[in-house]
Amino acid sequence: MDMYPKEVERLLQKVQKPGRYVGGETKSVVKDKKDVDVRFAFCFPDLYEIGMSHLGIKILYGAMNEIPYFWCERVFAPWVDMEAQLRENNIPLYALESGDAVKDFDFIGFTLQYELSYTNVLNMLRLAGIPLRSADRTELFHIVVGGGPCACNPEPLADFFDIFFLGDGEEVDIEVMELYRQCKKEGRDKHNFLLRAAQIEGVYVPSLYDVEYNPDGTVKAYFPKEGAPAKVRKRVVNDMDSAYFPESFPVPLIDIVHDRVSVEVLRGCIRGCRFCQAGFLYRPFRERSIETIDKHCRAMCASTGYDEISLSSLSTNDYGRLNELLDYLHRWTETEKVSLSLPSLRVDNFSPELMKRVNSVRKSGLTFAPEAGSQRLRDVINKNVTEEELLRTVNVAFTEGWTRIKLYFMIGLPTETMEDVLEIVELGKKVVDAFYRNKEKPKGKGVEVSLSAAAFVPKPFTPFQWFGQDTMETLQEKQRGLKSGNHSKRVNVSYHGAQTSFLEAVFARGDRRLGGVLENALNRGLHFDGWDECFDFDSWMESFAVCGVDPAFYATRTRAFDEIFPWDHLDYGISKEFLQEECRRAYEAQTTPNCREACSGCGAACFKGGLCLEKR
Amino acid sequence: MKNVRVWFQKIGTVKYISHLDLTRCMARALKLSRLPVWYTEGFNPRIYMSFAMPLSLGVSGERECMDVRFMEDADLTEAASRLRTYLPEDLSILEMTEPLMTFESIAFAEYEFRIEAEEPSQLAETIDRLLSSDSVLVKKHSKKGDREVDIKPSFSNMKKSITEEALVLQVPLPCTLEGSVNPNLLLEALKSHCGLDLYAQIIRKRLLTKDFSDIR
Repeated sequence: MDMYPKEVERLLQKVQKPGRYVGGETKSVVKDKKDVDVRFAFCFPDLYEIGMSHLGIKILYGAMNEIPYFWCERVFAPWVDMEAQLRENNIPLYALESGDAVKDFDFIGFTLQYELSYTNVLNMLRLAGIPLRSADRTELFHIVVGGGPCACNPEPLADFFDIFFLGDGEEVDIEVMELYRQCKKEGRDKHNFLLRAAQIEGVYVPSLYDVEYNPDGTVKAYFPKEGAPAKVRKRVVNDMDSAYFPESFPVPLIDIVHDRVSVEVLRGCIRGCRFCQAGFLYRPFRERSIETIDKHCRAMCASTGYDEISLSSLSTNDYGRLNELLDYLHRWTETEKVSLSLPSLRVDNFSPELMKRVNSVRKSGLTFAPEAGSQRLRDVINKNVTEEELLRTVNVAFTEGWTRIKLYFMIGLPTETMEDVLEIVELGKKVVDAFYRNKEKPKGKGVEVSLSAAAFVPKPFTPFQWFGQDTMETLQEKQRGLKSGNHSKRVNVSYHGAQTSFLEAVFARGDRRLGGVLENALNRGLHFDGWDECFDFDSWMESFAVCGVDPAFYATRTRAFDEIFPWDHLDYGISKEFLQEECRRAYEAQTTPNCREACSGCGAACFKGGLCLEKR
Repeated sequence: MKNVRVWFQKIGTVKYISHLDLTRCMARALKLSRLPVWYTEGFNPRIYMSFAMPLSLGVSGERECMDVRFMEDADLTEAASRLRTYLPEDLSILEMTEPLMTFESIAFAEYEFRIEAEEPSQLAETIDRLLSSDSVLVKKHSKKGDREVDIKPSFSNMKKSITEEALVLQVPLPCTLEGSVNPNLLLEALKSHCGLDLYAQIIRKRLLTKDFSDIR
């Protein structure tokens, strides 16, 4: 059954991977429009293969479609070849389930995972033929909403969106859709709907806030209007065992990035790494019970036919009873020929016992993230991993037969010097030396160590939110130092994107004045900025210049502790005082214990859930 | 252990998935069906599947086949309907049979082209003219680089019929384990020799032996 528009058929012959644009997957939800009151277009501002690998879309798609009178469909960003075909033939962007144009939908929802997807967000609205600016959509229709990590500072997108969802989405989305349905029935207008939506916890309506700026360009104050809350608190689902989790999801017909079942074992993270935004945004730390996880794994495998399960979370190694969980799952996964995998491994929790339980780890390579080369800098970022632990771990890996180790680092971290950068290479060499000293290493094989360095981007709601990012020149100097500091043939050094990291930093801590820049960038045809083949830095800089906005003001300027931020009226439960204290400790290279060892009083206990309630 | 030939169609949306993607879909469906299929032995056991002839991306297949092995006896009619429930409509199971021939005996595939044209009879004449030359060379892209092939011998045995908006061609093309003729080459030839950028639905109707009878 072909749901995509008839005119699309002939275009599909002219594009790469046409399977991205046709839908028709098993377990995709097709409803009868007659029975549906509210239609939601779930837009993922990247390719099908990326979006279909994302767990969040599966949860929300399932949660909305459970309700008979809501219908959630999927929309992905077409790659440049398909976009050209759609434009040339005047075919508006369409949803995969019904093939109907996105402009037929009540809600257009975006997941905001990454700052460099903002141009794709606007481009998808434009391809759909929907007015970009919220103020230009006057009817109670085409409600543009967004959620995900970037919603914690959505100000650069504030002019385009009607609503942002802060925090866990599985309940608040539904409540807002119910409200819309009611407002439609009562014949209310869009303004009335937004006023009422703003009263729901976790809903931020940007048009109900005015901003004033100081002469130096910083924020003077935010003024809530018409009864909107002065502070919008994020939404939290406390009981992970009763929280909605889908029993199935559309099973892609084409290969995608993560082609497997993904089951969420916990939310939040105990670690408090100071560079990591997710580690603060998703507090408190909440685990699902072994029985619940087992139930979800069984249901998902039974409905999709996948033979691999990824036990997903920010840090699955920190699941309290991980070995017990794996043993529990093994009661059936082995006979069903289903393998288990963990999305990431921690240096300090890697053992042969764990590896035996996770049977899908290929012998090809292991990846760890020490994040910084020197112990001092690892203390600054509160990574709490030591060199001894790393060397012990790689020795275990070598004994078990691995010969390829990949290590992830960041450069441009606060207080970093060239000596710290060069310690990255030193650490790589120590791993090589450990291999040659290991008597049980695999015979007849050489060791390969890859060191990959990303540029650090300071993010809101972290202890480094005040930090001025290293300039691109400094970053490039450090990258050159890294490359020239390596003389070992066994060590391979790579780094990426000072320019993309700069742009990411601008939008991460940006304000509403960046909206014009985004629109200008869109008009220049900028999109897919996270993709090398599309990224055009010079064109971006022209956009900033044309709009009279200095990008360095947002990226590389160090802020004072008393500065008011564009996200200060959004409340993620983490107090500014705590972040300031963490920032001070960082500069003194003092570590902070993880949430399981001791409570550091971040403020997330206000949500009254998860680990915050447990005795330690 | 028993060999079982699974006959299926790959049409509609599913004609846009690659051969590798097709194998993945089939493996998932076979797993869900709980049919007694044989897994390969080794470190990563996989369901044993052997496909007759991969289909080009965008070309429909109305009667494709693959072989699997059953560990125990099963009613093939019931097995076919069970597997069908786990596949998308466009990748439906037609039947399961006991294989009577090996894939080595496949020599041809019957293709149907539905070429959209405002004047189908005029297009038919153009094609006749094209194929009346001594040779019709078309550039073929492959991993080993571009090379020219003469498509005239393969496309000479063509039946034509005309509908209101399309020219319908039927032709058996060489299709063997050693190599096959890609049906898209005809459209390439019309583009490079006649400057026509045509849209056609291409359907592989069935697989044939060297004396043009159905593979069984």
